[in-house]
Amino acid sequence: MKVFQDLLETPLNDLVEQAVADGRIPIGYSCSFVPEAFLMADRLFPVRLHAPGVAGTEIADIYLSNFICTYTRSLLEFAVDDRFDLLGGWVFVPSCVHMQRLYDNLEYLKKPAFSHILDVPRKVTAATLAWQTEELRILADKLASHFGVDMSHDSLNAAIVQWNRFAAVISSIGELRKPPEPLITGTEFHRLLMAALVSPKDLILPKILDFKQEIEKRNGIGKFRARLMVTGSHLHDPELIRVMESQGGLVAADLFCTGSIPGFMPVDIETATDGDPIRTLAEHAFKKTLCPRMMEDFDRRVKTIIDTVREYRIDGVVIEIIKFCDLWGVDSMPMVAALRNEGIPVLKLEREYALGGEGQLRTRVQAFIESMGK
Amino acid sequence: MKEALATAKHAVMRLPELATDFLKNSIIGYLFEAKSLSDAVIYTKYWILIWGSILKFVVKLIFKRGPVGAFRVIRHYPWLLRFFSTTKLLRRLSRGRKGAYLESTALIIGSIALTLVEKLEEVVYQPEILLINEDLVPPEIGMAMGLNVWLVEAMGILLPLIHSDASLNFIDEAENAGMNPDACSFVKAAVGMIVKNQQPIGCAIVSSNMPCDAGMASYTYIQKAYDVPIYRLDAPYNFHGERAETLFVEDLKGMIAFLEKNTPGRMDWDKLREICEGRNRMVALELELWDMMRASPAPLASEAVWLSHLWHFYMFPGHKEAIRVFERLVELARKNIDAKIPAVENEKYRAVLWNPPFPQFPDIFNMVERAHGITLIMDSMTYNHHDFIDTSTPDTMLKGLAQIIMHGPMVRHTRGPAENYLDDIFRCYKQFDLDMVWVANHVGCKGGQAMNGILREKCREMKIPLLILDYDLVDPRIVSHEGMMRQVDDFMETVMKAKRPAPAP
Repeated sequence: MKVFQDLLETPLNDLVEQAVADGRIPIGYSCSFVPEAFLMADRLFPVRLHAPGVAGTEIADIYLSNFICTYTRSLLEFAVDDRFDLLGGWVFVPSCVHMQRLYDNLEYLKKPAFSHILDVPRKVTAATLAWQTEELRILADKLASHFGVDMSHDSLNAAIVQWNRFAAVISSIGELRKPPEPLITGTEFHRLLMAALVSPKDLILPKILDFKQEIEKRNGIGKFRARLMVTGSHLHDPELIRVMESQGGLVAADLFCTGSIPGFMPVDIETATDGDPIRTLAEHAFKKTLCPRMMEDFDRRVKTIIDTVREYRIDGVVIEIIKFCDLWGVDSMPMVAALRNEGIPVLKLEREYALGGEGQLRTRVQAFIESMGK
Repeated sequence: MKEALATAKHAVMRLPELATDFLKNSIIGYLFEAKSLSDAVIYTKYWILIWGSILKFVVKLIFKRGPVGAFRVIRHYPWLLRFFSTTKLLRRLSRGRKGAYLESTALIIGSIALTLVEKLEEVVYQPEILLINEDLVPPEIGMAMGLNVWLVEAMGILLPLIHSDASLNFIDEAENAGMNPDACSFVKAAVGMIVKNQQPIGCAIVSSNMPCDAGMASYTYIQKAYDVPIYRLDAPYNFHGERAETLFVEDLKGMIAFLEKNTPGRMDWDKLREICEGRNRMVALELELWDMMRASPAPLASEAVWLSHLWHFYMFPGHKEAIRVFERLVELARKNIDAKIPAVENEKYRAVLWNPPFPQFPDIFNMVERAHGITLIMDSMTYNHHDFIDTSTPDTMLKGLAQIIMHGPMVRHTRGPAENYLDDIFRCYKQFDLDMVWVANHVGCKGGQAMNGILREKCREMKIPLLILDYDLVDPRIVSHEGMMRQVDDFMETVMKAKRPAPAP
């Protein structure tokens, strides 16, 4: 577990450095609508953008203002501080206004050699699926042209196979959280998952497999008072989960940007439309990402949460929202009502990107667990 | 008994204040202050028009619904009572103005009263064909389908114009219902009205991904609250070019098919042609007005630019009253140009306002005219590069509407890339020969907030004086009116080196 923790200490860790030294190209991305498998073609590898240990965002505040989410501010701060200089390129999505402005300010301040906005639609229809496919094709051409990498169908298919193998391992570990006596805590799982998202998949997979073997031999992880599900905004710091679990609430399921539900369903290349991996990846991104930026997906998000609650024997749901996030902030209004109507206890937490106010967080989670009679 | 006496005493003590307020805001007060007989006549004419519109609505309501039915309508929409203060708005915005400029202000407020009554009558008497549109979904298509279109957010703009506190209880209601307090207060006000069941329901909803995340996301709640079918338009981020237009035209066709399936509406392409041609006429007139606005000093200003556009283009495109207003505005501008009469007598500075104008404090433009000689020449909700809609075929009309929607204000500025925001400001600055840029720095507008850093640096490079005025769109509690004026005064003193105006007695 320490090995995963160490990989999260810096925005671009040792494995990234090792891969770069081997001539590979890290591409930073911030949104789950960018298919990871797409960025694993040839010498490329995806690195989920995070800002561990961010102490302040003084420069970013000047450009992005204090009313923008601290995730984007932290990323800009790190970028201005040259913490991401090892990246070969950046791929963004207009996920939200904050992310768009991060892109705009990054372009203005750093002028990266390669950056691209993947224009992902906000609803899924035949027309928008075709649009998304075309968007990925445009990105593929740009990547091929700029980096001289192979973005052909064969190359993408190979990347998909690799990603599916990786996703299967993550999912199998995630399954260990389902039973009444799970073999892994939420903190451990999140550390593992975040480390996997910020490292080259092939280099971290052996460590993950070793860890899996280790935990399968466990007798248990101790007693917890309640089983929680966490959903909401970007959650990169496993310490937040640790604080929740320190109050006796095991985080047994997660549905957020860097969570596992339903984010690690395999890419179905067996039944791919016309054998086109780009279209398959476009379809997959829409299926596996549940985000309030998708205008028509509310019912599916709620249903997935409710189904997960039943499947994982969840006692209560924590909706964590980064302050100033309008998507989750506004979406949580009907979501809380919908979940409570199903008899599911809900705690809505407002937070910053970096862990702060630990005492208040402990108190709120403790009170929530007690309110459930646990 | 003691309490009654105390209340009576309080009322008597307030009489001088009430009398002053009455004289300040009433027509009697204006007639004492009027600079000329013709100004008094113009003001009185529009005062009568406004009251006539209000009374027409009330009388018709009582007549058609009976006293009990009328009471029920007022009880359902208590904010209707705010409109009894519309002439106060006229009084506030026309202070210090005269001649054609006075008339332009009165014309627009009078037109708002007239057309608002028409809109309210649609809501009250024809709810079965009422279509609910999100504010940036243009009403042309709904209108062409024989539906009456109600913009949910319209009252969020109009009510605070009349009384700056009008949206506060709605904002609080939305926050109490769980909406994040940092969300845009305009969205909170709309949602709050729905939480309090003070908005009409309609037979269907058309929303979109515009103009911002909060606005877009609020429609999940709205649709659940109304439980009617909803269609959502999705303007792409990269909205320039044929590819984006093709996608969005398909989306508009989907909207039409949805409306035909879920409402009594049926598309009448001839009617859409008529509406689009009416809209084109409004655009032509507005361009003529803008041409005249380039003159220094400007012949008209302020509400003649931003309020005329905001109300008529968004709520009544192609409407004969809207066309009449713009025709008259052009006449008034030409009158002032020919007679070399400026709108603002002592015009010293020409300004553009970026981001939506201050609905809860529209008086600011009038006040800075008189205090500093600042003329508001243009604003971002008005400024655009729309072409005329080609009305030859249904497809060309839809393409024209698609371009207008995707290139609309806020959409192209805050939803699109930064170039749209910056290039437009500088183009406008040059086109209208301006002296300063004001940014209405609404605390809830994240897209705008996150551009200020770059804008500041660019303006510094280009030596353009920039005022970033912190406030909240419809919540005066965040920054008071005095606080907003202080920011203007500080800017004028420190940046423009202008003398600070003497404090009001």
